Amino acid sequence: MSKSGRVFITGYGIITSIGKNAEENLQSLVDQRHGYGDIDILKTAHSHDLRCCEIKITDEELRRLSGGTGSGLTRTTLLGLTALREAVHHAGLSAQDLTKSGLLSSTTTGGIREFEHDFFNILDLERHGDFEQFADTAIPGDHSERLASQVGIHNYVATLSTACSSAANAIMQGAALIRSGRLECALCGGSEALSKFTINGFNALMILDNEHCRPFDATRRGLNLGEGAAYLVLESEARVERLKKKPLAVLAGAGNANDAYHPTASSPDGTGALKAMRLALSHGGVDAADVNYVNAHGTATENNDLSEGTGLKRLFADNLPPFNSTKPYTGHTLAAAGSIEAVYSILALQHGMVWPSLNFNTPIPELGIRPVTKLERNMSIRNVLSNSFGFGGNTSSLLISAV
Amino acid sequence: MQGKAHIYINGTACISPQRTFDGFALNDPVNYTSNVLTCVTPDFKAYLPAAQLRRLGRMLRVGLTTSIICLRNSGVTAPDGIITATGYGFLEDTERFLREIIERKERQLTPTHFMQGTYNALAGIVGLSLHCTGYNNTYVSKGYALGSALDDAIIQIRDAAELNLLVGAYDEAVSVQYKSVARDGHFKKEQIDSLKLFEHQTQGSLQGEGAAFFLLSGIQTAQTICRLTGHYGLFQPSADELKNELESFLSSHNTSLAELDLWIAGFSGDVDRDQNLRALAEGTLSSIPQARFKHLTGEYCTADGFALWLGANIVKSQSVPASIMTPPSRTPGRIKKVLIVNHYLDRNYNFFLLDRPKS
Repeated sequence: MSKSGRVFITGYGIITSIGKNAEENLQSLVDQRHGYGDIDILKTAHSHDLRCCEIKITDEELRRLSGGTGSGLTRTTLLGLTALREAVHHAGLSAQDLTKSGLLSSTTTGGIREFEHDFFNILDLERHGDFEQFADTAIPGDHSERLASQVGIHNYVATLSTACSSAANAIMQGAALIRSGRLECALCGGSEALSKFTINGFNALMILDNEHCRPFDATRRGLNLGEGAAYLVLESEARVERLKKKPLAVLAGAGNANDAYHPTASSPDGTGALKAMRLALSHGGVDAADVNYVNAHGTATENNDLSEGTGLKRLFADNLPPFNSTKPYTGHTLAAAGSIEAVYSILALQHGMVWPSLNFNTPIPELGIRPVTKLERNMSIRNVLSNSFGFGGNTSSLLISAV
Repeated sequence: MQGKAHIYINGTACISPQRTFDGFALNDPVNYTSNVLTCVTPDFKAYLPAAQLRRLGRMLRVGLTTSIICLRNSGVTAPDGIITATGYGFLEDTERFLREIIERKERQLTPTHFMQGTYNALAGIVGLSLHCTGYNNTYVSKGYALGSALDDAIIQIRDAAELNLLVGAYDEAVSVQYKSVARDGHFKKEQIDSLKLFEHQTQGSLQGEGAAFFLLSGIQTAQTICRLTGHYGLFQPSADELKNELESFLSSHNTSLAELDLWIAGFSGDVDRDQNLRALAEGTLSSIPQARFKHLTGEYCTADGFALWLGANIVKSQSVPASIMTPPSRTPGRIKKVLIVNHYLDRNYNFFLLDRPKS
């Protein structure tokens, strides 16, 4: 990437089960406080046997927190709006800036939570009531248009859905639109609320652990679901220079590939993972040896961690940098995972810290690799790789670098 | 989006409520009287292996078959990347899984419909069946889905002309989608003949569906259909904004109004929601021969896929089916430049400009 074409990160916002803003998330990571527990707010038969990382804030409280107005705001939209407003504030964007900005937001299920709640009411056209505001909010494009309208983004609105790699692709495409000249400023990320649809879908696939997940551990048995949202503000180098803004980091590179192995499983040799990471590095002109930290996808399914770990070993050989998975803290937040973990990657870079991968004891025998297990401080971190992989064979990797 | 490489459409395919899977005729269009238009499909056995045919839901079959026809037409066997676009995705599978969750009280569920209801299921299956480990992405931006996917492809090809990217769009007309939007007056209350859609100046459109695929590259080939000169999307524009943005879109591609031989208008037949487009038709574009298509397809998020397929093949064949001209008499002779202006629910507007390449 040419120097003049750099894409800067100038702000971020985040809400997860370990904090409703960036500061709270950082503190929880430092304190090794996770969000795993019973499901209280979503009404499901699995509230005790398939525990998740649920955000313990009701929709009404989220509405106040996010300043959302009007009807039809699903929990996915409200979580997104909370994070988006923090990102807007953090980057100091004015109403005029926002009008000319683009929004690229991702979700895997949009407002399906409200749709499943009112399913039979919605499908009976004779019935009327409060539920009607959620009749057409399951479509994934709904949340982004509402987010854009709520904060006043007018120039470009796109929605992406590539399962668990979605937000990474939203960030990647936001950067591409900036480099192409279509946008000067793009707000990119994803939002995902817990729903019966996803809990039961992943349960049917038999990839949920009914205990707290253990990424990269020999005894891992599956993932825990989570909910959350995060957005990055990306701005062109020209705009940052013109406004004399102080960027937080550089989105130095991004890679997108496909495993082409199985609809819901990753290849044992880590083909897609390796290809995505290599593409991100070559895109950013950074050698593997100069990567200081990898925020792994690390879902704690048998399949993902073996595939990703194999990809990591093939890329880094004997020089594997410190890596972890933050999934035990937040759960797997699906379409929001890529942006939530991009925020954690920037926090790592800003604070020179890497957080322990919780619940790790025994390395996977085939791999023998160990994630970071105690809080590392005072690290010199210049380049971070953040991985996000999903169903459909989608693999994406972001390279985030110091300015 | 500036850059050096031209963008060529080197293959197209479309499965729609008209017989479009094996050619570009539209001379004897199918009329629908149920207010719901569903695809006229080929014999899938000619395209899909038996095992896949058994496993896949209807729209996955339609989408996958469309991608296969497009690749055959383009002469490309191994594309470098796959980008799909949809508004509602595979809603039939999503609904089935939801029903199972509720009926079985969240117990003893099988994952088939969950997996096939995933928005990126088609991109994944196309990638898998082609063993394509390259770029793979899926846009679900309502009426911008295809536009977003094309923006993505255009940017990549302007950086690397040799890329062959397979871009496809699909949406299905299912009952659950109908009921989700019926309360907002998306569809006409009175039953009409679909071919007479534009005679009914009432609220609402007809429910439609379709799949369209395109092979895009920066390299012109013997199969080249046309050039995709530009795309621009607008979010909830006012009538003035729409007019001004169209003028600047055309001038940014060095195109004057006088050079346009045809414009394809995404009139939905909804008297209210078509207002902005009508202003354009009666104002800026009043002197340009006009074609319409939603009486053939019905309305859906990615109906612009049909329009793009239509426009591309008009440029290629240098002929305009009489069934799309408004009024029928104004069929242009020579067709060098075609403009498409589509809207979805008066919220999502897209411009596409197509050009006949120098041979």
